[in-house]
Amino acid sequence: MPRQEVLEKTKLSDRMFLFKPCVGSNKYPGLITASIEFCRKLGIELVTSDDQTCCGGFLTFTNVAQPTSTMPAVARNIAVAEEMGLDILTLCNGCHTFLTEFSHFMNDRPPVKNVVNVILSMIGREYKGSQDIYHSLEIIYKLKERIRANVTRSLSAMRFATHYGCHYLNGFKKTALDDPHMPTIMEELIEAMGGEIAEYGENRTCCGTGLTQIIINKEDLSLPHTKMKLDNLNAAEPDAVVVVCPYCLAQVDRMQQKLNYRGSGKYRVPVIHLVQLVALALGVDMVKLGFEAHAISFKNFLKKFDSIHSKAGVHDG
Amino acid sequence: MHETNKEWLPGFDKKFAELTHQMVKDLEKCLQCGKCTGQCPAAKLSSYNPREIIRDLRMGNVEKVISSHELWLCFFCSGCYAVCPRDINFPFAVSMLRYAALAQGYGWEEVKKIKDPYAQDYYSTGLSVNVNERNLGVRKEIAKNSGTDGRIETVRRKMGLPPKRRVSERAMSEIKFIADATGMTDLFKEINKKKAKEKKWNYGSPADMVKVKKGANQKFIDVEDEEKEKIC
Repeated sequence: MPRQEVLEKTKLSDRMFLFKPCVGSNKYPGLITASIEFCRKLGIELVTSDDQTCCGGFLTFTNVAQPTSTMPAVARNIAVAEEMGLDILTLCNGCHTFLTEFSHFMNDRPPVKNVVNVILSMIGREYKGSQDIYHSLEIIYKLKERIRANVTRSLSAMRFATHYGCHYLNGFKKTALDDPHMPTIMEELIEAMGGEIAEYGENRTCCGTGLTQIIINKEDLSLPHTKMKLDNLNAAEPDAVVVVCPYCLAQVDRMQQKLNYRGSGKYRVPVIHLVQLVALALGVDMVKLGFEAHAISFKNFLKKFDSIHSKAGVHDG
Repeated sequence: MHETNKEWLPGFDKKFAELTHQMVKDLEKCLQCGKCTGQCPAAKLSSYNPREIIRDLRMGNVEKVISSHELWLCFFCSGCYAVCPRDINFPFAVSMLRYAALAQGYGWEEVKKIKDPYAQDYYSTGLSVNVNERNLGVRKEIAKNSGTDGRIETVRRKMGLPPKRRVSERAMSEIKFIADATGMTDLFKEINKKKAKEKKWNYGSPADMVKVKKGANQKFIDVEDEEKEKIC
């Protein structure tokens, strides 16, 4: 679908339901706080709910729970947002994929939807399929001009490599915001915030998590793949690599530590989620960005960032 | 894998739709161009070969595919779907084939590896990732970066958050109800059993759910297929 069409379909509202990702809560809490804070600065209120659990679809595609089990589990989570009458904003490629795929499956097959609702009625909920589900990339790209106008800490002279992850662009090649092979949306966003792009060849390759491969074939498949990607990334010498999925964030961040520990090289590229980067540029309080929960230190990154800002005489909010 | 094919399986797609919960029903369109395998991260590092798997399925070597180690090597990156000229969503096929494998007693060791860290957490906390850090090296790094003991609970407190993400009691009782009512709990128990070879499990599918009003749904699927044919 052409980008313009997707953008027109993307509705911005003053209140949205923030779908909290598991990794983004219990490993990288900065993703949630950064999203809430930067959206507040742009006039959007993000609402969360303790009734929301893990998306659930994850269990089906890792083959530990059949689709019949996770279909109602996914529908229950969507119903929580529907009861508030809010569209859903996801921060994770996985949550986005599973919520979208399962809701399409149910919406396209009324009998399946009916059966799911029979189960949900027993817990006092109903899945209607009335609300939209958005990936954070879609909302942030829609907000591009608003972000550009509100940058208080420009990213100028900072070099960023991008990593789009697999599930958003590849899995939704017909409905995603950009082309899966040569995407540019993240680059455009970084440039809108004043940053520079560090290009590298393995940009579009998987981070190596491979959904389950990090568990079932870690040594043979997952780690060698991540190493190959990291070696290529290192050669481009970025100040940080920007991702849009907490699983990619966890893999690229933690596997650098692992490879360093094993003496397989020196990897020191900080990994940052796009929502944290936008929050950084919009002047959100540094504590709320949650860089302290990352395995690879942001010390050098922030040193360079601060020195550029003090030279330029820009007030660091 | 050496290809010892039988013959072209007539009516393949209809049978395969059943096997894959009706989530995949277009493998018949495969051109065998091999683009999927050319870009595949797993094919780069192992004997995994999506093109060959589709060919095997088309030739009726279903048992060979579902009993193979290769079936468990897919990264789910969907790169094959992105490059496929016939828009075959192969990762979905792999996922559903894995259920078919489990039903025949294959691959239970692989799902056990996934069940222990993720599914158990989902069932007991509502989230598939918990706050405990398994990798002590990472905890050391976080301790250095944050000036704390390196536990995520401490970092979260420092950020003004509760030590763990909260999931309400209502949510927990609801997902447990869904898990019990739909057979998720039973499957977890089955995965926990020691003797993998003896495991056979009759898996439910959306197709089963649809049986309530099968006529209506079948009609819908047929219409969809016809539309696809017209486009092609």
